[in-house]
Amino acid sequence: MEMLTNLMQGFAVALEPMNLLWCFIGVFLGTIVGILPGLGPSATVALLLPLATQMNPTAGIIMMSGIYYGAKYGGSTTSILLNVPGESASVVTCLDGFEMARNGRAGPALGIAAIASFIAGTIGVVLLMLVAPPVAEFALRFGPPEYFALMAFGLSMVVLLAGKSMLKALLSMFVGLWLATVGIDMFTDTERYTFDQIELFDGVQFVVVAIGTFAIGEVLANLGNNDKQQMFKVPKGLRNLMPNWQDIKDSRFAFLNGSLVGFFVGVLPGAGSTIASFVSYGIEKAVSKRPEKFGTGVVEGVAAPEAANNSETGGALVPLMTLGIPGSATTAILLAAFILWGLRPGPLLIQDHPEIFWGLVASMYIGNIMLLILNLPLVPAFAQILKLPGYVLYPMIMGISIIGVYSVDQRLLDTWLVAFFGLLGYLMRKVDYPAAPLILGLVLGDLMENAVRQSLMMSQGDISILYTRPLALVILVMTAAVLIGPLFRQVAAWRTKVADQEA
Amino acid sequence: MKNTLRLLAVSMMAGAAVVSAPVHAFTPERPLEFMVHTGPGAGSDVFARAVQGLLGKTKLVSQTIQVSNKAGGGGLVAMSYLGEKKGENHLVAVFTGVWFVNPQIRSNAKFTMSDLTPIARLILEPAVMTVRADSPYKTAKDFFDAAKANPGKLKQSGGSISGRDNTIRQLLMKASGADWQFISMKSGGERVAALLGGHVDMFVMEPSEAEEQIKAGKIRVLATLMEKRIPSMPNIPTINEQGFKVPEVPQARGFVGPPGMSADAKAYYVDVLTKLHATKDWADFIKENRYEDGFLTGPALDKFVSEYTQTLRGILKDAGVKLVR
Repeated sequence: MEMLTNLMQGFAVALEPMNLLWCFIGVFLGTIVGILPGLGPSATVALLLPLATQMNPTAGIIMMSGIYYGAKYGGSTTSILLNVPGESASVVTCLDGFEMARNGRAGPALGIAAIASFIAGTIGVVLLMLVAPPVAEFALRFGPPEYFALMAFGLSMVVLLAGKSMLKALLSMFVGLWLATVGIDMFTDTERYTFDQIELFDGVQFVVVAIGTFAIGEVLANLGNNDKQQMFKVPKGLRNLMPNWQDIKDSRFAFLNGSLVGFFVGVLPGAGSTIASFVSYGIEKAVSKRPEKFGTGVVEGVAAPEAANNSETGGALVPLMTLGIPGSATTAILLAAFILWGLRPGPLLIQDHPEIFWGLVASMYIGNIMLLILNLPLVPAFAQILKLPGYVLYPMIMGISIIGVYSVDQRLLDTWLVAFFGLLGYLMRKVDYPAAPLILGLVLGDLMENAVRQSLMMSQGDISILYTRPLALVILVMTAAVLIGPLFRQVAAWRTKVADQEA
Repeated sequence: MKNTLRLLAVSMMAGAAVVSAPVHAFTPERPLEFMVHTGPGAGSDVFARAVQGLLGKTKLVSQTIQVSNKAGGGGLVAMSYLGEKKGENHLVAVFTGVWFVNPQIRSNAKFTMSDLTPIARLILEPAVMTVRADSPYKTAKDFFDAAKANPGKLKQSGGSISGRDNTIRQLLMKASGADWQFISMKSGGERVAALLGGHVDMFVMEPSEAEEQIKAGKIRVLATLMEKRIPSMPNIPTINEQGFKVPEVPQARGFVGPPGMSADAKAYYVDVLTKLHATKDWADFIKENRYEDGFLTGPALDKFVSEYTQTLRGILKDAGVKLVR
């Protein structure tokens, strides 16, 4: 009951005309930066930090959060249309999203991404409102051994991402794991594979590898067939540009799966939305009745990662609001904004400044509706981009990719690297190696290495710490289940085959 | 020629008329750039933006100020960038401990702090030694005794081994003769979460952050790590009061210019920051964030730069970090 009163007061705050306007400005800007690859929400929130600190804290946090979750909506656009991951969490969206576009279903893919974003964004806020304090307490139980188990679980998704050959998928993943070691090692402060380049001290940027292997690789692979004018089919009629009832029905479970995975992974300060999107995609494929169709353009393969990516925002706000701990790059900037306002977010923020927390929660409900209204009409318009002939479309993808990677840190080296990874992506395509496991290895490798080394330091080298803590053990058992799952399926298939032959 | 002379005379008279206001040989002609070596949201970034805001509010600078983030290479990207802008008068950077450490441990660091133009040290960020509220340790001695009784069992979370948390650990270990583990974690969020979740036993926090956690009953402060007690925590004894001689190595922040910045330009920044330092807004900023006033310029600053470099050098050596120069 108290919550209802609080929420009503929150809406009273969020519905003030000025706050509504700031909310709209936030989500509008968020949508735009989300669509542009490279420039992510954290960079945009940072750009607006000086403006926000001149505003009152409630309006400021409403606007900045609007950018944060708004950017998640737009992130899928270039993934689906151009195979250019708009941001790190949208890599998984490329897998089925771009295939849908290739099959002439770009509109439904974009539409389902917007709907998944809306549903998950809303579920994320509901969870933020209802369970923030207990979930934050639970997340604290995640220490290095639990993170190690979680990363192992994430890596096990490789068996679900593998196409025809498991061996190729594993090799691709190992290259990713190796790439993750580039940079300064935090534990000893020594340089690894940096070749004396200061630019490599922080490692190979994930966006560079993702855009290179996905977008540039795709363009290069298509340069050979220039006989056709238009590369993609774009069906006529608005009806074919929107998801149909069957699409929504197929995505029902994905909406829920993505929302829950995204939220809970988002709460953990050491994880992130990229992991959430991979895990939700993996779960979706594992429980699907048509796992063999994943990667050829199934709608739930778009819905799950997009949902995860959006409810992660609600999750990431949990530790910030309840413990004063930033759980992601963007929430770290929100924390800075609080400090510049002279507020110190800590465990008592909600109690001491209810108008900020509840105003934010209410504004997020409103903002998500605004985003849906803002994004759905754009779908048919964006889908028209694919009508462009190849000789326009491909150079455009190249341009967007190069500008995208440069805009992240303004480093020339990144443009060379994107070219290198583009060639790598091209070669991998030619010899049929999947690129997704490479990305998976790169994202998780660093986190997993840190977790295992931290764990072993905690136990003074006793490896049993990794599997004796209950929570870690549970996650490791889940990991084993994922790894063994396909074996069972193979055995079953083989047995039916044998049975058929005997009969 | 005649006109020029007349103009000169007029301008000299104009100069004489406003003689009460200090006349700088340098006044900025275009926007000033405050560069930080971290991404947005990190300590130096917040500091730069706070100074930017206060200078705007107090109207001490006629031009606008932009904060630019040159993150990467653990601060080396920013240091190299500054080092290569020789003689540039419109660019200054926020320095912090890592600016002293980097040239000592990275072979490809091209500039040391004394190659650059230190302008002013502004604040010192005190640190406090914290444990979880339900921890059995009530004083620093309790913690050290437990660490001695179980060598290598106790754990502290922190950043990289050349960072400030480990610097403090080295000093505490030296003073107490105890030994405990240092667990590096990437983000500040993870480090605090590791303490609150009970995965590590001790964490070094800033007072302003600690106060919020104390109010909520999540943590306890064992000792403060400055020479004098921290005003906002008057009941908590310093580490020296508890019988352990630990030199004060607070995180220092201030501004540094490129090599060969003109003496006039340096004087201008020193003047602006001295004036800012005297305002009530600045005093409030320091108090609100529980910083300590660390204002230093001129020869005192130069002395600090060389001493701080040497202090950190000794600590890095003790920590087993490879030194390159």
